[in-house]
Amino acid sequence: MNEESILIKPVFELGPLIITNTVLTTWAIMGAIWILAWLISRRLRIEPGPLQTAAEGIVSSIEDAVAAVTPQHARRIMPFIGSLWIFLVIANLSGLIPSVHAPTRDLSATAALAIVVFLSTHWFGIRIQGLKNYLRHYLAPSPILLPFNLISEITRTVALAVRLFGNMMSLEMAALLILLVAGFLAPVPILMLHIVEALVQAYIFGMLALIYVAGGIQSQQLRENKQGDSHA
Amino acid sequence: MELSWSTFLLEIINFLVLVWILKRFLYKPVLDVIARRRTGIEDQLAEAQRHHDEADTLKAEYENRLADWDQERQQARDALAQELNEERARQMEVLQTTLAQEREKAQVAESRRRAEAARGIEHHALQQSAQFAARLFTHAAGPELETRLFDLLVDNLSSLSSEQIAALSTQWGEPPEVIMVASAYPFAEDRRQRLEETLTEVTGLSVPVDYQQTPDLLAGLHITIGAWVLHANVRDELKAFAEFAYAAG
Repeated sequence: MNEESILIKPVFELGPLIITNTVLTTWAIMGAIWILAWLISRRLRIEPGPLQTAAEGIVSSIEDAVAAVTPQHARRIMPFIGSLWIFLVIANLSGLIPSVHAPTRDLSATAALAIVVFLSTHWFGIRIQGLKNYLRHYLAPSPILLPFNLISEITRTVALAVRLFGNMMSLEMAALLILLVAGFLAPVPILMLHIVEALVQAYIFGMLALIYVAGGIQSQQLRENKQGDSHA
Repeated sequence: MELSWSTFLLEIINFLVLVWILKRFLYKPVLDVIARRRTGIEDQLAEAQRHHDEADTLKAEYENRLADWDQERQQARDALAQELNEERARQMEVLQTTLAQEREKAQVAESRRRAEAARGIEHHALQQSAQFAARLFTHAAGPELETRLFDLLVDNLSSLSSEQIAALSTQWGEPPEVIMVASAYPFAEDRRQRLEETLTEVTGLSVPVDYQQTPDLLAGLHITIGAWVLHANVRDELKAFAEFAYAAG
């Protein structure tokens, strides 16, 4: 392992698209998830086995977490947020596999996920509240705050992408530096920290995405509830 | 650190595809099976609740039925007890009546037995007194007594009315060939003559008289005229006295 191994390298080109090792790893992760999900869904029974129990536990936990934040729209948001958590956990932990680099140490991948979160926030907000009601929340509590709201939308998206990229990149970089300085097996404690950090970053990214989406959905409802309380 | 637009676009597409894959192959089937299990559990709970309600209903029904049975049993028991008391009272009454009748019968039998015993004792006493008198007269009687009895007999026969004599004549039936006269002591000639005259006067018969001496008579005469027997002696009088006394008692 050398310092070039951490860099993003193009593997091949597919027309105008350059396929990097990040994309290949992502495809591999997607393939593994697809096969595992297919195996699980093929053998679902009313009385579950160990694998089905684990799958049901994961899905139920994700649904409960989403329902705790936005109970009325949990079923609609849960596939998106759950996919973020599952993908990020596997993608972050994939860096522990020798000669495999986590896709999330690539700013292009984390930026793509952040953009997806950004777009999905508006998508769910407009779908659920309508365009007019959704756009109105940028003027709350005062139209003066409109520029700040717009800047907040951009900065939090950038922060979402950079936070995940920076943490995962730094973990791999630290492991590489320790390996270069101290030698074989020395980075093992760092790798254990990698596990914790991977889970924490996946949780943070998914939870922030959930809060952003729920905030976009519930801002109009909160305003209506406040108006209802004031009239009462 | 540079942004690759190819990677950026492909990652967006990849994630959207991944969302579709997970939704199609994981979330939907798993949530469906959880929903089916929850529905099954709710159905089982509803079924259990229905069974529980039915059991409660049956329990209440059986309790009511048991209460009714207890009440009917108590009523039957009371009726039986009342019937037993009435039957017992009736049987006691019958028993007391029977006992009273038996007691009365026993008292009658006892009084009868006592009367019989008294009569026996009295008869025995009379016989003993007759024997005592006979024994007394065996030593005390003598020709004087016989003479007085003879005089008393002749006086009585002489004083009979014609109706009495006619009644006596019907008792001996056919006229006898002989009149038998027994005495305890030897009968003197003058008394024989006086007796024959009196008999001829009373009976109107003129038949021979046969005289016999019978010491058992103690004193007095025993005259047999056909079927008519005249006891004018101490032995027969004592016997007659005892018989009459016993018959009167």
